[in-house]
Amino acid sequence: MTSVRFSLNGESAEVDVEPRELLLDTLRDRLAAKGAHAGCEQGACGACTVLVDGSGVRSCLMFTVQASGTEVRTIEGVGSPGALHPIQQALSQHHGLQCGFCTPGMVLTALELFETDPHPSRDRIEEWMSGNLCRCTGYVNIVSALESLAGTGEAPS
Amino acid sequence: MSVAAPPRAPAQTGTRRHEDTRLLCGRGEYLGDVQRPDLKHIAILRSPLAHARIRDVDVSGAMTVPGVIGVFTGAELAADTGEFSHHLPMIPTLRQITWSVLATDKARFVGEPVAAVVADSRYIAEDALELIEVDYEELPAVSDAKAGLEAEAPLLYEDWGDNVFLYMPGAHGDVEAAFADADGELRERFTHHRVSGLPMEGHGALGEFDPSTGRLEMHVSTQVPHTLRTVISDITGLSEAKIRVVAPDMGGGFGNKAHFMREEALVAVLAMRVRHPVVWQQDRTENLLAGLHSREQVHEVEVAYRNDGRVLGLRANFVVDVGSPELYILGCAPAIVTTGVVPNCYDLQDYAFELRCVATNKCPMGGYRGYGQPQGIFLMERVLDLVGERLDIDPVTMRRRNMIPDEPRPYVTATGAVLDTGSFDEQLSELLEAADYDAACGARDEARAEGRLVGVGIAQMVEPTAPNIHALAGRFGGYEMAMLTVQPDGRVNVAVGTKSQGQGHETIYAKVAADVLGISPDDVAVSDGDTAALPYGIGTWGSRSAVMGGGAVIKAARQVRDKMAAIAAGLLEAPADQIEASDGFFRLGEAAIPFGQIAAAAYLHTFLLPPGMDPGLSVVVGYDPGNTSPFPDERGKLNVAATYSTAAAAAVVEVDPATGVVTVSDLTIVHDCGTVIDRVLLDGQIHGAVAQAVGQTFFEEIHYDENGQPQTSTLLDYMIPAFGDVVRPRIVHRETPSELIGGFRGAGEGAIIVTPAALAAAVHDALAPLGVPITQANLSPSRLRELLRAHSTA
Repeated sequence: MTSVRFSLNGESAEVDVEPRELLLDTLRDRLAAKGAHAGCEQGACGACTVLVDGSGVRSCLMFTVQASGTEVRTIEGVGSPGALHPIQQALSQHHGLQCGFCTPGMVLTALELFETDPHPSRDRIEEWMSGNLCRCTGYVNIVSALESLAGTGEAPS
Repeated sequence: MSVAAPPRAPAQTGTRRHEDTRLLCGRGEYLGDVQRPDLKHIAILRSPLAHARIRDVDVSGAMTVPGVIGVFTGAELAADTGEFSHHLPMIPTLRQITWSVLATDKARFVGEPVAAVVADSRYIAEDALELIEVDYEELPAVSDAKAGLEAEAPLLYEDWGDNVFLYMPGAHGDVEAAFADADGELRERFTHHRVSGLPMEGHGALGEFDPSTGRLEMHVSTQVPHTLRTVISDITGLSEAKIRVVAPDMGGGFGNKAHFMREEALVAVLAMRVRHPVVWQQDRTENLLAGLHSREQVHEVEVAYRNDGRVLGLRANFVVDVGSPELYILGCAPAIVTTGVVPNCYDLQDYAFELRCVATNKCPMGGYRGYGQPQGIFLMERVLDLVGERLDIDPVTMRRRNMIPDEPRPYVTATGAVLDTGSFDEQLSELLEAADYDAACGARDEARAEGRLVGVGIAQMVEPTAPNIHALAGRFGGYEMAMLTVQPDGRVNVAVGTKSQGQGHETIYAKVAADVLGISPDDVAVSDGDTAALPYGIGTWGSRSAVMGGGAVIKAARQVRDKMAAIAAGLLEAPADQIEASDGFFRLGEAAIPFGQIAAAAYLHTFLLPPGMDPGLSVVVGYDPGNTSPFPDERGKLNVAATYSTAAAAAVVEVDPATGVVTVSDLTIVHDCGTVIDRVLLDGQIHGAVAQAVGQTFFEEIHYDENGQPQTSTLLDYMIPAFGDVVRPRIVHRETPSELIGGFRGAGEGAIIVTPAALAAAVHDALAPLGVPITQANLSPSRLRELLRAHSTA
């Protein structure tokens, strides 16, 4: 077992894990951050996306020990039921989610986009988001939601 | 009255759907989020061989791994576990088989469950899998239906003498006479490839058994919680009174989760064995190997036509690779549906077919959105274009000359469907207008003159919605149940026997109940998926939820509303039939009593009730429109569905002959599912179905080699559409109400049924200058390049 410390949504987290344990499992099973989902465990679908030091990471492909000393942000650190983040509000208003399984990963990937580029074009949105798969929406309304934010620039972090 | 109205709770946070807040915040409870103290994890050893006799399974090494609770073989569990079988006395030509939760004597596809480990974590359980030693005697494999039908083919079941799991002929009208009257005949062969429904969350189940009470509780990612309870009872021998199945939030289903997986029953059996809560979550590789596949079929057709374009008769020979047949509900079911929908929206009464469902050493064939219909519609739509091409009649005229006339309704199709739909003629006109069809054809002609391969294609469909599953399963049925309770504070709970997998049922049922009760949808909380909340339910599949679940919810709401109106009538000293429920009040002219006060009277101040009325405001209803067939009649005809939806599609594409890449530049869908409950959510269903149609046409293919070894076991091999592949359909809604409660016809599948045929028609049109006909559903770049290469060397 290895002791690992990192910041999770602004709070200190400390876990003892085997070196082989994946960050996704640590977040879900030890730290009650269940919003990251295991969609493929092959790094292909993006449902497990979290931000590590501000950059999107497939938590199914990262060992927890690699997160030592980093700042990890998950969906639990983005919005809350009483105070949805503008990206979350836009996804709801534009009906950009159906089953919701991919949605936390979508929100975090979009968050990183808007932090670097508040007014992305449609092409830029589609390119940036292309590593996150959704099987329900056909992406149509997710793009519409993110375009609405890009137009108004209402997506602070 | 001295009763104060309860204060209104603040409205929801302004989300579009009731489900949105928790899902957006990562607080949905999917199967993997269900926690239990001392939860143990199941990992499943799966056959690495397509076809093998299992001589011995040695689990001794696996048992020594620290943290392993138990290791189980098929033979061991079969000793005290029930078996799966099909309940289909009405299909006497179906081979009768039984199977257990794990393979016992033979493994019949790569990925078939052979042994299971229960351990403290999935990590440990997977470690232990590697120490299980299986002595396999490898057997030659059957890798597709054609190979399976050859005289010397290896046999999946030696006692059959061949590999034909189901042989089913059908004859309607007088096909021989139709061919005798014909001016010409077309013979063609159409192929459909194997794909996966691929919900983002795979299958999974968590089981817990309490030996002191004999109760089994299961959480399962399933579209069919109640009917699954019946199957779990079959397998475990427990009474349904002792089993509770809960389907939590689901990460998609798409028909994939409308079957009863043997792994789900395995979880139940292991929960009873190890006396710990146990969970199995299918990972993506398991999902792609063993999570059910769909669509693969070959059709050989003979068409009798007249020189004016009328199709007079059709013979079809369907050969369907159903993989390993050990699946309940029957993996042949979609193929049977295919045979039934072939006449589509055309006046074709002389139709005969033979269906052969061939067992092969591949993953079981199961349901996927569309459920056999995309293939049947593809057949008929391709036939019309190909006959039209011979006769130099354009696709629009071909369809108008063959379509079912507007009168009479209902129209009974060759296979017995009782159609109550709107006008196909008007629907087609609406499509042509919305798609600006003539302009699109003009632009195509200009592009063609420049040497570009641009094409325009159209297709239409009629879809049986809200089907009666009894005809294909031998039990269950064509009904639904709902429970509606008005609480003392005037808030409403609805429980329903359907199961949302993302469709937004909490939102739409709240809306339909609120409409009846005259209150805000925000005051209605909907739950589904819990067998403890409702006696029974048939689940969500077959575009049935609005029709059946919506019908049941409205029926329940009407009963409760009528009781509340009777209470109001007593208080207002007026006849109940003069009381109206609207805007949160029961009204008689100017007089009005708040909805919440009537609710309080029913529970808290029952002296206010009319003499003899029972307290409480809660009903459980079953709703069966009664218009479907539980069995085919003696002529093989059945009215499979309670309602029928229709759709038409027009596509414009451009083919890059160098790469085989097809760009869809325009797609128009005209859609009629009767009364629309929520336009935005309905459009979302169409967007998703279009994306899956684009996926199966241009991206997706489950591939096996000639030894039955799968070549697509990750999402890096099995490509589904991503953001850059978005096709934004232009959507036009027609609303022709059905005669059933609510006027709904059912939605969710229409666009995946009609779109593949429209895309194929458009690609065919694009390749017309090269003279390359499209007779295959798989138009991926590599398959299209193969086709173009074969043509250029021919």
